[in-house]
Amino acid sequence: MAQTVPSGVSVGRASPGLWNRLLALAGRNARMIAPLTTLVAMFIFFSVVTDVFLTTRNLQNVITQIGPVAVAAAGVTFVLLCAEIDLSIASIATFAGVLCAYFWTEGRIPVVGWEMNFFPEVSLFGWEVTLPIGILIAALVAAGLGLLNGFLVSYVGIPSFMMTLAMLTIGAGLAKYVSTGKVISEVPSQLEYLGGAGNRILWNTVPVIGVVALAVLIICDIILSYTKFGRYVYMTGGNREAAEMSGVNTRKVVMICLMISGLTAGLAGLLFIGRLHSANPAAGGELLIRTIAAVVLGGTSLFGGEGGIKNTVVGLLIFGVLSNGLNLLPNISIYFKDALEGIILVAALLLNVLALRLEKVQTRTE
Amino acid sequence: MEHVAVSEPHETAAASLTAPPRPPAPAAEPVLELRGVTKRFGGAIALTEVDFDLLPGEIHGLVGENGAGKSTLMKILAGVHAPDDGVFIFRGEPVRFHAPAEAKARGIGMIYQELTVMPALTVAENVFLGRQPTNRFGLIDWKRMQAEAAAHLRELGIDIDVTEPMKKLSLGSQQLVEIARVVFSGAQVIILDEPTSALSGPEAERLFALMRELRDRGKSLIFISHFLEDILAISDRVTVLKNSRKVATLPNQGLTKHRLIELMIGGDASSLAASYEQGRTLPPPVTTKPVLEIEGLAAPGAFTDITLKVHAGEILGLFGYLGAGMTELARALFGRQPVQRGTIRLEGQPIAPSSPLEAKRLGIAYLTENRRATLFPRHEIYKNITLAHLDRLVPALFRHTAELSIADRLVKRTGVRPGDPTMRAGHLSGGNQQKVVLAKWLAQQPKVLILNEPTRGMDVGAKREVLDLIQELKQEGVAIILISTEPETVLAESDRILVLSRGRITKEFVNERVSKDLLMSYA
Repeated sequence: MAQTVPSGVSVGRASPGLWNRLLALAGRNARMIAPLTTLVAMFIFFSVVTDVFLTTRNLQNVITQIGPVAVAAAGVTFVLLCAEIDLSIASIATFAGVLCAYFWTEGRIPVVGWEMNFFPEVSLFGWEVTLPIGILIAALVAAGLGLLNGFLVSYVGIPSFMMTLAMLTIGAGLAKYVSTGKVISEVPSQLEYLGGAGNRILWNTVPVIGVVALAVLIICDIILSYTKFGRYVYMTGGNREAAEMSGVNTRKVVMICLMISGLTAGLAGLLFIGRLHSANPAAGGELLIRTIAAVVLGGTSLFGGEGGIKNTVVGLLIFGVLSNGLNLLPNISIYFKDALEGIILVAALLLNVLALRLEKVQTRTE
Repeated sequence: MEHVAVSEPHETAAASLTAPPRPPAPAAEPVLELRGVTKRFGGAIALTEVDFDLLPGEIHGLVGENGAGKSTLMKILAGVHAPDDGVFIFRGEPVRFHAPAEAKARGIGMIYQELTVMPALTVAENVFLGRQPTNRFGLIDWKRMQAEAAAHLRELGIDIDVTEPMKKLSLGSQQLVEIARVVFSGAQVIILDEPTSALSGPEAERLFALMRELRDRGKSLIFISHFLEDILAISDRVTVLKNSRKVATLPNQGLTKHRLIELMIGGDASSLAASYEQGRTLPPPVTTKPVLEIEGLAAPGAFTDITLKVHAGEILGLFGYLGAGMTELARALFGRQPVQRGTIRLEGQPIAPSSPLEAKRLGIAYLTENRRATLFPRHEIYKNITLAHLDRLVPALFRHTAELSIADRLVKRTGVRPGDPTMRAGHLSGGNQQKVVLAKWLAQQPKVLILNEPTRGMDVGAKREVLDLIQELKQEGVAIILISTEPETVLAESDRILVLSRGRITKEFVNERVSKDLLMSYA
């Protein structure tokens, strides 16, 4: 009795026309079509209106700008898919960055002060290499904070909104504590290579950070689309009670999702200090809004169960194209650009909502 | 004319239940009439040229299989859908509602299966919802509201403390309050969708008493139900729908369940009807080894001293009303309800499942009574089916093609229609959704299968298919526990029957003749 159309109804006479079939196709893929339309429209708009937008150099800029956001967004996609939220990503990112820079410059563990060689030089098969232990530790600490989020949300029952809000403060506070509030202006050279704006590979065309982000996105997509854990994430978000009644350990699933989100946030923070060549405990706050906006813009539901990395990629590109394109527009006050960006985002979200209505109509007629 | 009816409510109250349209006005004009109504959804047709009329002061039963068009008809009357063709005449003039609020404003009230009460508010607040009386400061006048709510409920013969929060009431009482609210807001026509499906026997009697009271006050009621006994017990006239068309509207005189089933499904239904009406002799007990043994199991506030055995290839029926503790017992076996005392043995080994995951690994499968807690409506059928046993069905990295072929086999086996595993499960009818949930547990044959109300709310055909599948599993040696508040289901399918009442086993039937009355007398 739950569905809108009874099952026993007979099907109408004429075969559906081309228009109906298109409508059906659009309805079934509504979650992808609206963001894709927005992206294409913006791309064409900025290409036509500005001379600079459609140049290799500028497109490289777009990629470089969204790189750290893309890495963080890959993890946040997991969290949104299981119908939770992570507000702590930006401060975990900042903390991981500051921590890593501290390891690099001080060679000590903060607070306790034990000295340690975080970047030992070793000889591997005759190659002199620097082992990035400090980077790994910083990433693991970020994952650990995410895991703590996950444990307290899943097994203790603190709502993720509140828990990660508290972690936002904790992460920011720790970053400040470790750096004593100062900018650390030296960072590991490996991160400068991975995150730096000028570094490119493949005949000097593709920014390294773009490759890194793409790799993270692809790994996350494989996990979500082709592993059991990924399926459990979707089903937990789709109907947690039903997933549990099917024998899925939903608590563990939610916990791991928050851990992944912490890890990717940490990686984003590390790339970020690589790009800026310094670690600023007060920077990076806008990463939170950008990341979540990008994921949602791509069509992943805030209520869980629907969307995915492919949507997130589209959302990221929309975001990247928009903020880059707006900066290129002449005749717009730079003071108005933030507001304008917000307004356009609302318009894009509106389009998503409208497309989902179409999907509902489709549901009714199927 | 309905005002006339309200002003002289009690003089004809004694009219027999089965009396067709009664005075005030002989040959009364219908309150509401549909003529030639057709409704399509895209290419699918839900109603075809349906005529329907509702008289003042009558209870009009509406029956039909799932998909026959009952819901659509009801939604047109309630203003949710507008008809594509045909006329809707309300109180003598053609109307066209664009929203449920319009129908409500004209006096058509709807009681959905899922109640719309506010659980945290008191009964009085619920009765007055949105129209609370205020004092001269513009604040809610609590005293007046409670006094009026109490008076209103008493007038309708409902005895409930209006200061209690709604959530403390039983489902049956909540329903009575919701109906009272609809009446209080001025409804002349009240549509009840499956109001008895979740009620115990006495609760249903109270509901019927209220429905009769309202009829005697000149209100018109439409009563939609799968429970044909309920329809026959209370309706003045009955309309039967089949495949989007109206088959007949009959006065409820000499009408039988058999006849209704015949009209609903067409063709000869005598064998089916027979199993409904008469009793059945249970077979001799099976001699296979017991698979599941429970001894002295108790959970405070839910059930006490439950001792039972289920053998391989046996269906143990559990019958009782809501509150008998059957659902809690099932949840205890599936690791969702803590127990205080007692032991559970599976194939001789003591077990204490503490989560569904653990129960699943032990080979226990549980089909809950609440389909919303088991189905993923927005996900594809195949994802619904493979979820429970995904860890055994596919390798670490898997492609959907392998998964699809597994799901396809199970879709065919359970007879899900349409049989396309890539369709979203939410698009299926209720009966087919249940088949999907059942298919999920068949991906790996369970040792013990617990079925809680497996056929509730299903039409006759879908019910039969699901029951046949359950019999098939029994033949394959699965130990099955079949829980139902519908005596017919337990009666027709079980090898042994236990009756539960208030958390205790009150009777076991083995190898003897048992009938519906006998079952119900122990519940």
